[in-house]
Amino acid sequence: MSVDLVETPSPHSEVNAAADPAADLPPRTLNVWQLSWRIAQHRPKEFWLGSALFMMFFVLPALSGYLLSQGYESLAARDRVETYWWAAAVGASEFARMMSVHYGALIWTRAWLHMQSLLRANMLAAQMASGGPEAGQPVGSAGGAITHFRDDTEDAANFVDIMLDCTGALMFTVAAGFVLGAADLGAAAVLVIPLVAVAAATRTLDRRIKEYRAADRQASGEVSGLLGDVMAAATTVKVNDAADSLIARLGVLVERRRATAVRDRVLDESVQAFSQGAADVGLGLVLLVSAGALASGAFDVGRLALFVAYLGWLSFLPRMVGRLLARRKQSAVAYDRMRGLVADREVENAVRPRSLPIGPADVRVRPDVLRRPRVPLDRLDVVDLTVWYPGSERPAVGPSSFSVRRGEFVVVTGEVGSGKSTLLRAMLGLAWQADVTGLVRWNGAEIDDRAAFFVPPNAAFLPQVPQLISDSVADNVGLGPVDPAQLTTALELAELTAEVAEMRNGLDTLIGPRGLRLSGGQRQRLATARALVHAPELVVLDDLSSALDVETELRLWGNLSAVNMTVIAVSHRAVALERADQIIRLGA
Amino acid sequence: MSNPRNPRWRALGALLRPDAGRWVALGVLVAAGAGLTLGGPLIVRRIVDRATAGATAAELTRLAGLFLAIAVATQLIAVAVAWFATVSAWRTTNSLRIQMTAHVLGLDHEFHRRHTPGELIQRVDGDVTSVSDFLSQVVPKAAGAVLTLVGMVAVLVFIDWRVAIGMTIYLSMAVAVVVRSRHRAVLESSDEMGALARLYGGIEERLTAAEDLRANGAADHVAWRFIEDSTDAMTTSVRRERAFLTMWWIVQSAVTAGWVIVLVVGVTLVSADAITIGTAFLLYQYVLTVSRPLEDVVHMLETVQKANGAMVRVQDLLATSATIVDDGTTSPSTGPLSVECVGVDFDYGDDQPVLHDLDIDLTAGRSVGIVGRTGSGKTTFSRLVLRLVEPTRGLVCLGGVPIADIPLDELRRRVALVSQEVELFAGTVRDNVTLFDPRPTDDEVVATLRAVGLDQLADGDIHRALGSGGAGLSAGEAQLLSLARVWLREPDLVVLDEATARVDPVTEQRLEAAIAKLIAGRTALVIAHRLSTLRRVDDILVFDRGRVVEFGPRAALAGDDDSRYARLLSTALEPTAEEVSDER
Repeated sequence: MSVDLVETPSPHSEVNAAADPAADLPPRTLNVWQLSWRIAQHRPKEFWLGSALFMMFFVLPALSGYLLSQGYESLAARDRVETYWWAAAVGASEFARMMSVHYGALIWTRAWLHMQSLLRANMLAAQMASGGPEAGQPVGSAGGAITHFRDDTEDAANFVDIMLDCTGALMFTVAAGFVLGAADLGAAAVLVIPLVAVAAATRTLDRRIKEYRAADRQASGEVSGLLGDVMAAATTVKVNDAADSLIARLGVLVERRRATAVRDRVLDESVQAFSQGAADVGLGLVLLVSAGALASGAFDVGRLALFVAYLGWLSFLPRMVGRLLARRKQSAVAYDRMRGLVADREVENAVRPRSLPIGPADVRVRPDVLRRPRVPLDRLDVVDLTVWYPGSERPAVGPSSFSVRRGEFVVVTGEVGSGKSTLLRAMLGLAWQADVTGLVRWNGAEIDDRAAFFVPPNAAFLPQVPQLISDSVADNVGLGPVDPAQLTTALELAELTAEVAEMRNGLDTLIGPRGLRLSGGQRQRLATARALVHAPELVVLDDLSSALDVETELRLWGNLSAVNMTVIAVSHRAVALERADQIIRLGA
Repeated sequence: MSNPRNPRWRALGALLRPDAGRWVALGVLVAAGAGLTLGGPLIVRRIVDRATAGATAAELTRLAGLFLAIAVATQLIAVAVAWFATVSAWRTTNSLRIQMTAHVLGLDHEFHRRHTPGELIQRVDGDVTSVSDFLSQVVPKAAGAVLTLVGMVAVLVFIDWRVAIGMTIYLSMAVAVVVRSRHRAVLESSDEMGALARLYGGIEERLTAAEDLRANGAADHVAWRFIEDSTDAMTTSVRRERAFLTMWWIVQSAVTAGWVIVLVVGVTLVSADAITIGTAFLLYQYVLTVSRPLEDVVHMLETVQKANGAMVRVQDLLATSATIVDDGTTSPSTGPLSVECVGVDFDYGDDQPVLHDLDIDLTAGRSVGIVGRTGSGKTTFSRLVLRLVEPTRGLVCLGGVPIADIPLDELRRRVALVSQEVELFAGTVRDNVTLFDPRPTDDEVVATLRAVGLDQLADGDIHRALGSGGAGLSAGEAQLLSLARVWLREPDLVVLDEATARVDPVTEQRLEAAIAKLIAGRTALVIAHRLSTLRRVDDILVFDRGRVVEFGPRAALAGDDDSRYARLLSTALEPTAEEVSDER
């Protein structure tokens, strides 16, 4: 079997996506309002009940302020008994306000977390989907991607939060406007000036806020990216005596982030100060235009108390509007970044409804795992499979063609860099970074969405460097509930039974972060058991032998052949090559 | 809000000391802001009293203008405070981040086996950012509030000492109840942060393993684990919110009580002609002034809780000490190092012995192939030699010096590891070879890349980016890269742990010459499953179930049909290099 480099592009083209998830995106205006509505409606009960209670909390100060002004009116008239009654009424009004916020806050906290969890769940599902319409472009660095799950989801939910505040502030302002207008129309009208000034100033700062926020997030991503790399590679850093250099590098990155954080925060604070100042500036203007009325006694202490009481809360609206505009920008940045993780980079897919029973009253029943129906393998054909990395002039692999029959043991071999992994990953639909042409047929039928089809029980894959998760042995092998008999068989096939039996808790033994409590060979065999647990029709093993001794490898091939497993394996060892029904040799 | 005896606050104090000047300057700005905050209501008091006394509209207009000027100046100072505070907070906490990263890197192998990278990022960056938010947002506001309250009492003393005493009693009671209700909330906040760290740690790990999980159809499983972790996060968050609301009730009751009290006291004193209407109004304004910081306190306390919880974990982490203590002072003589083990036992603290009674004596400058089944203790032995772990019993010596007596710096410089796990960093090709060390020249880096056979990388621009997570390099190439890292350092003892496992035989042949050059004149321990890798080593050490079962010159063992090594060789059916070439 030979693989020649022929530069004829296949008519069947499956273009996955370009290398950089963000590079070629056309700038799109995201409708943040609509997106926020979608996440708010994820759990309508919590959202509406929490909102209603918060509205009460916002509007009741209008009553309290009115009662207070009546109190000062009586105070100026030196009527003690009447003043005491007004004071009692103020206390009652405030008590009602506290009750509403108590229940409002508890319910709203849940609504707020539900919104974030929906975004997180959608992004995670897109990152974990084996092909299909839900699958998103894989992220480069997990450490950097965490900011999407942590900060961006919070920014998105914060916008809904601020919308609630704004609505409440608006309702208060309308109520207060009526009361103030009835008391002194001229003085009430002058308050419009600071409110408009705040809105205007915020608009001019708008674009900057977005820019600064994006720069800050980028700098933060770089810091956590490096930290993630360093923490994951702590031993490597140590034995390479590289701690000092890496810390120096971290020093550069954190200082860069300091600069972006300061810009971001100072701008944010300016917008806030401007809106907060509106209250005091407003009072100054009221005093200024009412100087004549004050001198004549027409503008009395009761009215002044009314203005002072309301101004404290009136400033809430411009403050919230100021934050609203800033947060709208922040959440737009957040949605723009989050859509990079979901299918087609379509932001709709990040806000799609899904069942998430995470609330205290939710019933949590683990759903049955839905697996693809098994399609017994008779023959697999790979035709002219060619893989191009964007920007390179010749294909990284192929065109490459081969056929595998049921029960065959096929070995792929070739030098480092000859594209063995790339070929297998492209065949399985996992070569997201590359353009792949050519086709793959299963029993003669072409498979379009290979990533979705090549999963257990049809196929299973062992990557060259398998990654495990900090869970039990059983969880890492089964990746979900499986029949104990299947687990036992898989461990036997992978030559792991004896070692698992020796572990303190057997199958329930925790294997530590990324499986670090196991030896390299144990990790490799555990991942092999994972690939075998569903008795796949086809198992693809990318360099299983690298972490195994010869005797173990020999027994493993024997085990697989005994159960008549169809295997495609990368190996360089004679024990594998000798057994092979077919050898695919790739040239660099 | 603070208890000076608390070690957390002492630790914070120590953190601030290097930037003390900056923080003092910030204090001056905050004081100016507090002064203006108190000045505004005094102007309004004067307006009310002058208006009652029949002042002209012109005089009242001047006073209103002054009030307006104060309002504007207050906000300008607020922006200046934010700028100053943010710069100072980040400066201070950046040093903490660096200190913590250095500390974590110094911790044991065992520590890193127990903690996920995601969790550690949350500690070193997430938690420290909470401290930073505390410094940049809470500290200036809290300082402003304290100055405002103290100033308020001082102003009232001038107006009427009885009112001043009343205000002092009211303020001390309000502040006291708020502070007393704080403790539970701190605990709940710590639980919440822990649950979030587990949630994000889990997500990070799953993203790292994305390809494995996708290819094995694990989406449903991951989704379920996410639901479990999110449920925990939700439960702890709601608990924290409940604790926080208790405090809010207390604060809000204090504010409402203030309004009612000043109204009742005001009307009583005004009726008795003890104070003017202007002063009664001033009291009302001051209660409003107090209510803002008191309400802020609730929001701030949330940040304080987070920061406090974060500070607890930061200190815990900084207090975690490595069991590998660096107090050695003896340097082994220069040149290749000999390796001796005397009666060494080892287990990972779980009573499952990995190595038993190891007695090994390896001569300096010789290369030793280490073979044995998976789990026989080869890698653990190499960790002992690298002092990543300490023996449970017995003694390990390098160059005749007990390993604990060698300064760790020197040990790390002279002993190197090329392992089967290769981690790449987000950075350039050069950064990944030098691990961000600026000292090697570009030419040296290129030469090293060529020496290990990574010509494609050497041919291109070595300043181009190499993705983290291995994007752009195959696993085999990544292994060559890790060889290049060690090559550049010229160590005296090299441990190659499956260093060429992911390399095909043809490439390995090319590499063999390179490795031979690397280990010439040094002591080398070569762990390999593939026996062909060991063709050029001097000696062979065979491990079985944590014991050394055979040791001797390679040639002698290979020639002795009864030796374990010879038996391994015959089972292996290893092709010789010539056979591999013939197949091509």
